[in-house]
Amino acid sequence: MSIKSGYYKKHLHIDLTKSSTDYRDLTDAFLEKYVGGRGFGAKLVWDNLKKHNFRLDPFGEENLVAIAPGPLSGVYLPSSGKNSFVAISPATGLYGDSSIGGGFGVELRQTGMDVLSITGKAPELSVLFLDNSNASIIPMPELKGKTCLEAEGIIRERLDTQAAHVATIGPAGENLVKFACVNADWGRNAGRTGFGAILGSKNLKAIVVRGHEDLPVYDIDGLMAEANKAFKYLREHKYFKLWQQQGLMNVIAYANEKGILPTYNFKDSVFARYDRINGETMLTDYKIGDSACFSCSMCCGNICLVKDGKYAGTVIEGPEYETCAMLGSNAGIDDFAAVLSANRLCDELGMDTISTGNLIGALIEGYEKGIISLSDLDGRNITWGDDDAILNLIRMIACRQGIGDIIADGSRRIIEKWPEMDKLILQIKGLEQSAYDSRAGISMALAYATSDIGAHHTRAWTIAREMEEGQGWSDEERVETVIYHQMLRPLFDMLGVCRLPWIELGLNEKHYEHFYKYVTGNQLTLEQLLSLSNDIYDLTRLINTRLGVSRKDDTLPYKVHSSPPLTGPNAGKVVDREHFQALLSMYYNKRGWDEDGMPPAGTEKKFED
Amino acid sequence: MSKKLTVIPEQCSGCRICELVCAIHHFGVNNPKKAAIRVINTYPHPVMRMPVVCSQCKVPACAQVCPTDALRMVDGIIHLDKENCISCFKCVEACPFGAIYAHEDCDLPIKCDMCGGEPECVKNCPLGALKLIPEHALGEIKRLGNVLSYTQMREIEFYEKGEKKTIRYAEIGKEEL
Repeated sequence: MSIKSGYYKKHLHIDLTKSSTDYRDLTDAFLEKYVGGRGFGAKLVWDNLKKHNFRLDPFGEENLVAIAPGPLSGVYLPSSGKNSFVAISPATGLYGDSSIGGGFGVELRQTGMDVLSITGKAPELSVLFLDNSNASIIPMPELKGKTCLEAEGIIRERLDTQAAHVATIGPAGENLVKFACVNADWGRNAGRTGFGAILGSKNLKAIVVRGHEDLPVYDIDGLMAEANKAFKYLREHKYFKLWQQQGLMNVIAYANEKGILPTYNFKDSVFARYDRINGETMLTDYKIGDSACFSCSMCCGNICLVKDGKYAGTVIEGPEYETCAMLGSNAGIDDFAAVLSANRLCDELGMDTISTGNLIGALIEGYEKGIISLSDLDGRNITWGDDDAILNLIRMIACRQGIGDIIADGSRRIIEKWPEMDKLILQIKGLEQSAYDSRAGISMALAYATSDIGAHHTRAWTIAREMEEGQGWSDEERVETVIYHQMLRPLFDMLGVCRLPWIELGLNEKHYEHFYKYVTGNQLTLEQLLSLSNDIYDLTRLINTRLGVSRKDDTLPYKVHSSPPLTGPNAGKVVDREHFQALLSMYYNKRGWDEDGMPPAGTEKKFED
Repeated sequence: MSKKLTVIPEQCSGCRICELVCAIHHFGVNNPKKAAIRVINTYPHPVMRMPVVCSQCKVPACAQVCPTDALRMVDGIIHLDKENCISCFKCVEACPFGAIYAHEDCDLPIKCDMCGGEPECVKNCPLGALKLIPEHALGEIKRLGNVLSYTQMREIEFYEKGEKKTIRYAEIGKEEL
């Protein structure tokens, strides 16, 4: 079988230094092997690394950022609005990717291309404008310092593109904050691994896309029938309504009940006042509307409004679980309006809420323990739940003022400056950990340690399964579950679709084999698709190992091994060092990597073309 | 009985499934830009997701400007006569709602034909933001919402056979007396 449809077979490369735009053809072999999204991105980043002999500054002109939807992005099937950003991350110095929902990726595809890559640096702050017939780089120095949302409004007006999709960076991106993000569609973010800063280093304030091409589909009738089955399954699911109403916010109550909710910088894993920042509270007092990504019936997004108090008038697309946990319980904030306000501020400034919340929590604990002094904080006291001080700190980070200048460089720089902070910050490979406490389940610890982008749950999220049904798991089952997740979840990022219908409502993954077949005409089994995804995992590992990663970097934060949660169902639990090392060895072994975590010689050959 | 396609923007999530099914049903292609319905987003003031679709006006501005009489009302639906249409797109400009669309690949304007009485968008909207209701019932939902919001409502909670229930009742404004 072969690729018959599903792609435009076009790759647009833009060099901002030379101001050149170059449309390149993609071969069938490339499309079949790398599928799309993160697959395309990893390959382009790998080729670029080879070109530069594996010496590359993430903020240098040579760093290539790939923006890639997948063959299923924008297609009529549940939740098909995803798009991947891929590059070498400034936070980790390693492979980085982040996916963004909304409709930006769909619109990008509709301009008639499968992947966009950008290198170089524009001479002044610019906007990249793409439509079906051309790509132009428009200098707009007047956007300097504008927030993401302000910039989006100005650009729409200036370019007369009310219906276009706009991805922007905020002041944090311009100031090279290492966890700056890219914001699109008024509040969707490519949050992790610092893509805002990468675009900032390229003097690229925004990317505007406006397209109208048909999305290529091989068998539209087959697709319709399959998609309708999937939509029907979701509609009839007992939790479908709950998802529509609360989205990811329903996880707060679950995480608190199970004892995995980060609280006071992971000192604890239950939050006494969790009910003030959970989904129920949002529904009763704050939610004013739903928000969905393209072609998604689950609409996990919420639109919230603060109706009274000092934050009255704050409107936000959000929040979701991670934000509410990291900027809420993890910072000791129990005022939902304050969380919304912090979320909005991060969106405006273009900053990842997970890293921001994680580092602020660590900073408060560091100050509490006397590692960070009052003079380090410019004489401004900061304590748990002090929303004014926390909001102020968020601004200081984005603008690199005072201590914000150090925090803006991420956990590595903080640890360099205050070595004792190493015991307080939960980070792996330089990426701050997201909001699922891995002390509750060792498979989650393994998932974080072996994630290719650092401590994030996007590659494998095994915590719920381990807690629900994995109490009696053997180590082998744990490792296999992590590896299966690391194959399936990245496959969604390659196809350009969301994984929530599968992970949250149990939509059978077999559907995706059919979706892929109806869209591309290429008949692959789910196992074959998973194997392609697994190859990409080898490729990202290869990128990382060539940049110096080995077993010594697949570690866990100090707290996970040595500092148990104080209360709740997991009180006293830590991850045993020897047990973890044994799991890691078994993991390498099952992946066919050596004891030091290196893929076998000859792996490079697989990715030559 | 004539039915109207109405929009309840407060219920819309902006997922654009209506656009997709419309384009697939009429053109057989996966292209939301070929739909006769589009979701318009505004943010942040006001936050609104508004599907814009033909209202099948009884005094249709589109038909009035059509130089060849290609737009005609038949059984409450304004149909586009493909034979007579000269693709001048005057109707697109004349529609006060911007609810007739144009696309580079298409010679004719794209206009809602109610799918012969059972619109695909209504069938597939996951949140019930699009509804097909009898003409005489138009505005009922708004009226009820309006009544509730203008009355000073009080709420009491009570338990009946162990189940929590609430009753809303109008308090006569004692303070104002």
